[in-house]
Amino acid sequence: MLEAIQIVIGGLLQGSVFAIIALGFSLVFRVSGAVNLAQGAFCTLGALMTYTLAESFGWPLALAVLGGAAVTAFAGLGIGATVFVPALSRLPVASTLILTTGLLTLLEGLALVIWGSQPYALPAFSGEEPVVLLGVRVATQAFWIAGVAAAIIFCLWYLLMRTAAGKVLRACADDPLAARLMGIDVPKVTLASFVLAAFIGGLGGIVVGPITSLQFDTGRFFTIFGFIAVAIGGLGSFLGAVVGGLLLGVVAQLAAGYVSSLFANSLALGLLLVVLLWRPNGLFAPGQARRTDVREDHRIHPPITRLQGRRAAILGAIAVLVLVVLPSFIDSVSVMSSLVITCILFIALLGLDIAMGYAGQVSLGQAAFMAIGGYAAAILATGYGWSPLAGTLAGMLLSVVCATVLSLFTMRLRGNYLALATLAFGLLVDSFAIGLDITGGPSGLVGIPAFSLGSLVFDTTTKMYYFLIALIVVLLLLLLGGMRSGFGRALQAVRTDQTAANALGINVARYKLIALCISAALASLAGSLYAFYFHFLAPEMVNTPRSFELIAMLILGGEGTLVGPLLGAALLTLLPTLIQPLAAYKTFAAGALLVLAIRYLPGGIFGETVHRLHRLLGPRAPVMPSAEKAAGGRQ
Amino acid sequence: MTAVALEVVHLGKTFGGLRAVDDVSFAVPNGSLTALIGPNGAGKTTVFNLITNFFRPDTGEARLYGRSLARVVPERIATLGLVRTFQSARIFPGMTTIENALVGAHMNLSAGPLAQMLWLASARREERALVARAEALLELVGLAAHRDAAASELPMGAQKLLEVVRALMARPRLLLLDEPAAGLNDSETAELAALLRAVRSNDITVTIVEHNMSLVMGVADQVVVLDAGKVLASGTAAQMQSDPGVIEAYIGKEAELS
Repeated sequence: MLEAIQIVIGGLLQGSVFAIIALGFSLVFRVSGAVNLAQGAFCTLGALMTYTLAESFGWPLALAVLGGAAVTAFAGLGIGATVFVPALSRLPVASTLILTTGLLTLLEGLALVIWGSQPYALPAFSGEEPVVLLGVRVATQAFWIAGVAAAIIFCLWYLLMRTAAGKVLRACADDPLAARLMGIDVPKVTLASFVLAAFIGGLGGIVVGPITSLQFDTGRFFTIFGFIAVAIGGLGSFLGAVVGGLLLGVVAQLAAGYVSSLFANSLALGLLLVVLLWRPNGLFAPGQARRTDVREDHRIHPPITRLQGRRAAILGAIAVLVLVVLPSFIDSVSVMSSLVITCILFIALLGLDIAMGYAGQVSLGQAAFMAIGGYAAAILATGYGWSPLAGTLAGMLLSVVCATVLSLFTMRLRGNYLALATLAFGLLVDSFAIGLDITGGPSGLVGIPAFSLGSLVFDTTTKMYYFLIALIVVLLLLLLGGMRSGFGRALQAVRTDQTAANALGINVARYKLIALCISAALASLAGSLYAFYFHFLAPEMVNTPRSFELIAMLILGGEGTLVGPLLGAALLTLLPTLIQPLAAYKTFAAGALLVLAIRYLPGGIFGETVHRLHRLLGPRAPVMPSAEKAAGGRQ
Repeated sequence: MTAVALEVVHLGKTFGGLRAVDDVSFAVPNGSLTALIGPNGAGKTTVFNLITNFFRPDTGEARLYGRSLARVVPERIATLGLVRTFQSARIFPGMTTIENALVGAHMNLSAGPLAQMLWLASARREERALVARAEALLELVGLAAHRDAAASELPMGAQKLLEVVRALMARPRLLLLDEPAAGLNDSETAELAALLRAVRSNDITVTIVEHNMSLVMGVADQVVVLDAGKVLASGTAAQMQSDPGVIEAYIGKEAELS
């Protein structure tokens, strides 16, 4: 009994932290309609900053806490003013979500550069000696956590419900357009709520700091659990955020205490999936849910620049030729190896481009299918004597089955919730990869053979490279054939206007399913090849950060173009290899480049290049008619 | 062939306390061009949305060539031969003009995704034929010059014409057009009228919701007048122009009618 009480108290504590993060999510979502995945990074930033101020600068703890929270708020102000708020008015929901994954990656990368990868622990606010209440030992920090959570909840409630500023904020949340007409500076209010959310997040990270070990990427877990809490409670509902957070904390702690921590994660994610199915808008969805489906705004879907016809064929042939002769100019093993990794990741990116770039289905769990394919093929090849090819195909089949089940789950979900479900799926696979025995746990699987086709064994980097080039050419031709015809057009129609697509007899659900299955199959193929190439597969090679990295590569290269992501993959894989000192900045660079690409390079590197090429070579450049030209052209 | 393309029977829909569509019945003869007119708020677009099941009707149903549409989901309705356009042009942004037109032909494609991915000769032949047809239709409405332009950058009138082209690419038996002339200038309206006449001579039945009376009077064989959710009158364009009830419903708009 005592044990149970202790566990429940632990759960409530953890839940309070989830609730604090969830409140930050809801605050920003209510006002902007965007889910800020970087929210958890503010927690880590606040805690690590407090640590530095207290330990390195020798500030008194109270001052360091205030300093840490203030720095976090300033970081929020900087990011909000330069990136988040300006982007809101121009980007569709899916892109703001991707933007915030970029911000999350960027902040994690920054923390890695500043604080390194070792874990930190803050000193407890009032000593390490626990107090004993009715026989239950409780760390004094627990009172700080509970107290701060209660104070934040009360202050937020008071601010929103009892002050003029709160009324303005609620007006922006309910109807931004009407609020603007009433003379409210909506972007400023959005920025204010973003900064407030950052501050709250920072505070949450600081109070939980003494009882958690923190490192540069802990923010991701804060984000994820805060996100799950908010999704259970209902995006945009403050009561929901608190209830969702506490519920999640208690359930996770009970599961961890009585079953295993692997089960705790799965249960948390399972809980999320059940809630999403049962009440897709959460338990306490606010009265007026914002539309998270397709907006009828044309500006937000910029035309995608693609190469077509003879010009594409010529350039494609030249590109293949360059790739074929490239190895003879490279004598560095690590560069060749990076090229192979680039090619493997490109295969996963081709899939992601079909799902995201063409069909518009944001998937934050692409690496999960790499994991399924990688582990399935590796286990079958090492433990059951299957040939690598058979193992790879079996992995792809399994991935397609998983993707089908996942899309049955997510059939009714759109926008943020769909992305959330894919993220939950990715994390579920992550926790299985770490927690199961058959996958080798955290240390991974070793002794995986080289890939082979019959008697052809691709056991050197160069052989693997040429095999991959051949495979990529075949895959590209297949996908190009589909994307340039009715198949690709149907996917794009689904992406931008599902209602209009329906009215033309396009079975939206079917095309989403096909896109997701192709995407999963290709990711799975990439994951298998990855395992066969390294003869080794560990969870961190194919986990959620990898999914985020793939998204960065896709956007940076140019989504919806098939070949564009190759440039993104090459850039983010080769640069750290070519310039070794940059390796520590890799995460930061991936995040920063993703954010910059969304902001300044909407077509990605490929789109921009093609655009310039069209301008350079002239005649086939797309005509952008003005109203006059359109009228004149009809004579 | 059945003589009636579309039969609307006792259709009704209430929003809150408002009887938006109240026991509306009319029939669209096969091969005809029927116009649904009425003052703002008469329920014209709602009738379209009820026919195509974008809203579920409270009462009644629509029948397409004798077949009830009551339980048919919107995407199936298109495959039965009924294709609609929207009041606000819903062209697909992010695609070019010709791509938008080609999307319309989606449900008639015989080549599946796999055939297209394998670059099969049959799929490519089909694609070439579709492109040729789309180009011909774009030519007809004067959009040929903007074939490869981003559709979302076309002026509003051109987008509405493109939406009609896209619907025609679906080879519908019955075409529902929701205010196709709204936002069109005079020359564009003339082109729309030409397109509608061309459509009719191609054995496609058309039902149109329209405010532009000169367009309606010029092309419609049958006019159904709605007012406050009810059918006020129906008959030929000329009959409707002299119907006292219709004139009264349109009071203040007499100039437009005559």
